[in-house]
Amino acid sequence: MAEPTATISRPQRWDVPFDSQMDAAAVDRVLSIAPFSRIDLSNFPKSTPLRDILLNDASVRAFGKGEVIVREGDYGNSAFFIIQGSVKVALGKDAIPAALLGRRETHKKNFFETIGQLWSNPPHAEVRDTARYQAARDATAAARSGDTRSPIPGGSRSPLSRKDATKAGAVFLSDIPAVLKGGTATLSAGVFFGEIAALGRTPRTATIFADEPSELLEIRWQGLRELRLRAPEIKQFVDTNYRKYSLENHLRETEYFKDLSPEELKLVADQTRFETYGGFDWHTDYKKNRDTDPVERLRGEPVIAEQGQYANGLILIRAGFARLSQKYNHGERTASYLARGQMFGFKEIAHNWRTKESVSLRYTLRALGYVDVLVVPTSVVEQYVLPKIAAEALPKLIKTTEEADNPISPLEQLSGKLPTDFVEFLVDHRFINGRATMLIDLDRCTRCDDCVRACAAGHDNNPRFVRHGQQLGSYMVATACMHCLDPVCMIGCPTGAISRDATGGQVVINDTTCIGCSTCANSCPYNNIQMVEIRDARGEPLLDQEKKPVTKAAKCDLCLEQPAGPACVRACPHDALARLNIRDTDTLAAWLQR
Amino acid sequence: MAATLTASARRIIVRTGLLAIAGGSAWTWQRHLATSLHHTAVATGLALFATCLALALFNSRKKLPFLPLLRAATWTQFHIYAGWFSVLLFLIHTGFRWPDGRFECLLASVFALVAVSGIFGLILSRTLPARLTQHGENVIYERIPALRTKLQRDVEALVLKSVEETKSCTIADFYAAQLKAYFDRPRSLPHYLTRRDAPLKKILGEIRLLERYTNEREHAILAELTECLRAKENLDFQRAGQGLLKYWLFVHIPLTASLLLLGAFHGLYVFYFAGGLR
Repeated sequence: MAEPTATISRPQRWDVPFDSQMDAAAVDRVLSIAPFSRIDLSNFPKSTPLRDILLNDASVRAFGKGEVIVREGDYGNSAFFIIQGSVKVALGKDAIPAALLGRRETHKKNFFETIGQLWSNPPHAEVRDTARYQAARDATAAARSGDTRSPIPGGSRSPLSRKDATKAGAVFLSDIPAVLKGGTATLSAGVFFGEIAALGRTPRTATIFADEPSELLEIRWQGLRELRLRAPEIKQFVDTNYRKYSLENHLRETEYFKDLSPEELKLVADQTRFETYGGFDWHTDYKKNRDTDPVERLRGEPVIAEQGQYANGLILIRAGFARLSQKYNHGERTASYLARGQMFGFKEIAHNWRTKESVSLRYTLRALGYVDVLVVPTSVVEQYVLPKIAAEALPKLIKTTEEADNPISPLEQLSGKLPTDFVEFLVDHRFINGRATMLIDLDRCTRCDDCVRACAAGHDNNPRFVRHGQQLGSYMVATACMHCLDPVCMIGCPTGAISRDATGGQVVINDTTCIGCSTCANSCPYNNIQMVEIRDARGEPLLDQEKKPVTKAAKCDLCLEQPAGPACVRACPHDALARLNIRDTDTLAAWLQR
Repeated sequence: MAATLTASARRIIVRTGLLAIAGGSAWTWQRHLATSLHHTAVATGLALFATCLALALFNSRKKLPFLPLLRAATWTQFHIYAGWFSVLLFLIHTGFRWPDGRFECLLASVFALVAVSGIFGLILSRTLPARLTQHGENVIYERIPALRTKLQRDVEALVLKSVEETKSCTIADFYAAQLKAYFDRPRSLPHYLTRRDAPLKKILGEIRLLERYTNEREHAILAELTECLRAKENLDFQRAGQGLLKYWLFVHIPLTASLLLLGAFHGLYVFYFAGGLR
């Protein structure tokens, strides 16, 4: 007689809270502190009351003097609010030597674990250790009831609270003045920080450490998003910080601004405009319109600056992507694409400043979805920035006749490297977002599927990509997670199960905390996340109490745990497959022109 | 001259040069052993067997994709050039003549088949992918039967729709007489190996002729049918090409296993009669 199909509880948003030791008393305390004390509780729906958000999406943490709170370059999924004490922001790039930051390495399988995959992979698809889910629930319940004796059977994941877990890897900076390369800024009680990286899905821009014994409220971004949505006080607070610090940090990081003194930088920052184009949830519009005529789609993209106009200011891309196009007959040809850290209009401004001519913008800049830009007025650039740049470091003068003869010459970073049709293809399909895009050269690919088998071998016999996708000529972008620069899949995740790996920035899914809501899969503009019905060790589908199959999100994790890196690339016998950062046009062009 | 060569051409020239040097060295080594009255056949035989073992390790490497054992592409390059080297070693080992013993003949035949199947696979892997890409939509091999079935159903629905909308059986009759057999089953592999597209051209010609006798609505349906025919043609081509790229290994790998077994037996046999195992 066949054994009955296994039933498990359907995973819920707060089955595994951010910190299992966060309790009602801690929530009460937080709610007594401004600005939380001023929040109108009635603004929150019954399903997600403020108390529950703080209980499940937040953690009160203590930091000792010199303890590192966030590291520059790490991908953060949470923001901090200083309850008491103060913290210091290390100013300048690489302000603290990386060796002192104690960055935790992602667990890689050792030799025996790697070899063990040969026989330990289950014979059925999508098999999960169901005890792990129950153990995580039990650990939470036990921690909340004060019983900390709740080991997870057979699992390596410890049921430590967030405090304990993070303390285990705590890093302290001793002799701080000696290790700091630049200055510091102090943030005191009542201030938020870290929200830029958490909400913008970008790396932390500075290292922050405790200046004295301090108590901080850490909120994962899912909770912070709810607070911004429901509490105007928090939204205003966070948005003010977001604008202020993002602007200054970005200017500080920009190449041509690096020689400015702090006073000059502040003067420039004061006159810099912060502009936003397109919607934050750009992926929904993109999915809706991706099958429409490309010309119509281009016309629908908001214009940031238009070809032929005077360059009123230097445009710095702070977040998102922009299309650089040039008029061609009755349409526009895409010359390039710009992303965070790149600028527009500098060549024209520098040319006009040197020659006293009045060359207008040679390209049109359009927002591809959501774009944050900083606009530094031309007069400010001419007064503070250009005089500081050595003559040989300035861009070459614009040859107006050459431009007219060759109207589609791309910008410097692309000149002669990527063919126009390939640029149009990448932009049209928004592949410019990819940091590890799987490109397949179909003229070399023998369709042997060794890549798929290798992927499956490293993921419990489950391939995490499909060797099929959008194609231009002999190049295909396979349906594999691209580990995007702007991972919109993370936007709606209610539990934080999908997040960036702190070190490498790979977008990964925590199977234990994934509740199978499909939000990430629906958000992914490239359909690179699959929802899979999970099974027990016998291969039987797992059902919840209502007898519905339990699903989990699954996708490529770039073989984060494998010692040799992405198996797909290593397994291709004909060198037909590569994982490429689309912004790295040099490498991309070299790969195309092999 | 060098500047005009592509990077891959330069790589091929360098590697072929290295192969020639390796082959020349093996020949010199064999001559040196012969002049110093050593058993050259034993030495070259052992070298040949070791090379074949190294070549066979590629398949084992494929089973361990997660280990840092160099990229498979590097192994492929090694496999190709070591394969050519093994052919040179084989010729040196046999003294550039076909062996006369029955067992040796069998062994030499298996080696030859392994080498030929390997060269065949190499040619396929260098020529077919581009043809598959240029031919039409890229499809996953395992999905082809399902796609063909769906296409067949779509075509049947289209034909039925033509009867309903045009109140005429002309297209339906044409489908039953000329197209049904085409859509019912995939075309054979030899058809594609010989690159004959006459049957499709003939059918398309008949459709063009039929257009002279049909109205505007029927024209549209015939245009859709033509698209379906081309889609079917692409599915068949992809099936044949991808199948060939997959299944040649089903000849090459078992033959390699047989070669290793026979080679090992051959070695033991030689040692036995040379007094090594007595």
